[in-house]
Amino acid sequence: MTTDLAIEAVDLARSYRTRTGWLKPQRKTIDAVRGVSLAVGRGELFGLLGPNGAGKTTTIKMLNTLLLPTAGSARILGYDVARQPLEVRRRIGYVFGGDRGLYERLSALDNLRYFAELYGVEPREQLPRIHQLLEQVGLTGREKERVEGYSRGMRQKLHIARGLLHRPDVLFLDEPSIGVDPAAARELRRMVADLVEGGTTVLLTTHYMAEADELCDRIAVIASGTVRAEGTPDELKDRVRKLDVLEIEVHDAIGEEHLRLLRETGGIERATVETKGTIDVVTVHARPSHASHASVLAALGDLRTGKVTTREPTLEDAYLSIVSDAATAGSEG
Amino acid sequence: MTALTRALRLTFHGGGLSYRALFNWTTPPMFIGTLLVSPLFQIFFFVHVGRTLGVADDRFYLLGNAVLATSVPCVYGGIMAVANERRYGTLGAVLLSPRSRGLIWGGRVLPYILNGFVVMVFMMGAGSLALGLPLPASALLGLAQVFVVAAASCALFGLALGALAVRIRDVFVISNAAFTLLILFSGANLPPAAMPHWMSAIGSFLPLSHAITALRALFDGGSTAGIWPSLGGEAAVALGWAAVAYGLLRFFEWRSRANAALDVM
Repeated sequence: MTTDLAIEAVDLARSYRTRTGWLKPQRKTIDAVRGVSLAVGRGELFGLLGPNGAGKTTTIKMLNTLLLPTAGSARILGYDVARQPLEVRRRIGYVFGGDRGLYERLSALDNLRYFAELYGVEPREQLPRIHQLLEQVGLTGREKERVEGYSRGMRQKLHIARGLLHRPDVLFLDEPSIGVDPAAARELRRMVADLVEGGTTVLLTTHYMAEADELCDRIAVIASGTVRAEGTPDELKDRVRKLDVLEIEVHDAIGEEHLRLLRETGGIERATVETKGTIDVVTVHARPSHASHASVLAALGDLRTGKVTTREPTLEDAYLSIVSDAATAGSEG
Repeated sequence: MTALTRALRLTFHGGGLSYRALFNWTTPPMFIGTLLVSPLFQIFFFVHVGRTLGVADDRFYLLGNAVLATSVPCVYGGIMAVANERRYGTLGAVLLSPRSRGLIWGGRVLPYILNGFVVMVFMMGAGSLALGLPLPASALLGLAQVFVVAAASCALFGLALGALAVRIRDVFVISNAAFTLLILFSGANLPPAAMPHWMSAIGSFLPLSHAITALRALFDGGSTAGIWPSLGGEAAVALGWAAVAYGLLRFFEWRSRANAALDVM
């Protein structure tokens, strides 16, 4: 079966029914994904960004056959995820973040040996492939230790090795760098870039915008179960490039009242705050020539402010803008 | 490499790795304490009860409880073979395998059958020595046959219960009840003549009752061939539970995809 698309989803939807209580059970239906459409070409690195609970993992679980869609359809390399799950599974790898998902009592080597059997790696190819992957993820020398003694970063490396055992054509990376130290995260990004260069299609979800910006050919931002924006990182940044971005360091705690005052200041489209160490950093998106530094500082009142800088919009600015617009639309809807 | 060789590798090599990964009692203290010492004390307990109340002789309780001892590794092990996948969060990674479910899950039962066999051999050996009961060489072949079929039947029963773990979180509550059920209905500690008909009927659908009957017939002077009808009954029970286990595992796997009924990752 040949197709130019590695991943194709059309109006993919998934709802969950929950039940609480025994005597008077209360049933609720939650729409986790509401009509997601994606088209990812072969050899492309596609990012799926979104806040927690946006539907990213549910979308991936439908694409990798662990969940059936309640509506819509999806194909991986031309194979239908609902009707041809075995064909899909032979061609995909799935790496997810976190501490769990490995056999604690087995060594890394035995974990990989077992999954090599499960994923149909040819017996004579198993050990060379395992040692190649252990070398690639930097676990050589530790492969005979039980996984229960591994750090989170080491576990994550083992997850990645497992996902690559059978040389999948399409790789789903669900927050692979979560809990990984900066050096290992950089190594992971290099590995992902190498995979894509070798022709593997990668669908990546991450909360690290710099990672997505550096790696992804295209990105879809998903919020409340629907795709809110899609494009290259530059195209997404262009959505907020028409705004000036001001960052103000504040040495006192910022309250909701200050943020409200800022947002009501003429020309200011958006104001957010992030605590960095002992200071708060206020990020203000303002229409050019509409909000002066003075008016921004005036809104912060008697707070002790430090450095004020103007910078180019980043992917994170674009992401926050899209997600914030989605939240506003949701609350108005 | 042929498809058959690959299937055998998944069954035996994969089964062995999964045993080490998922069976909680592989460490020497746990293995000896839980699988060997505890069931041996159970034999002594029932022998003492039998002597005190005059219900049956020592051999009756030794044979019954030696076979019953296989239920510890086999029933609990069969359950752990599935339930511990949830504990480690590995079930999703297993379900993403494109390979035959029959081979994956079937292979997992094999190490528990071997484990159950070893436990029964130990019980018979240690129990006979301690109680001063003879273990005739002529009975050994029949004894081995009984042990293999009993362990297989019990492990497949455990796997069927383990299948429930794909759907139910606290499946070990069921395993405790199942273990007690076997004590009660297998005939290990109650002479069949003392059991009401309905209890015998239930017992005949559970593992071990036919195997215990076969073993007692063997030690009552029966020939190896003479116990085959009872062993055939035990094998039929084993096949029945194998079918139940396979059906439940496939059904719950499908349900987990359709209803998102399982926290697979």
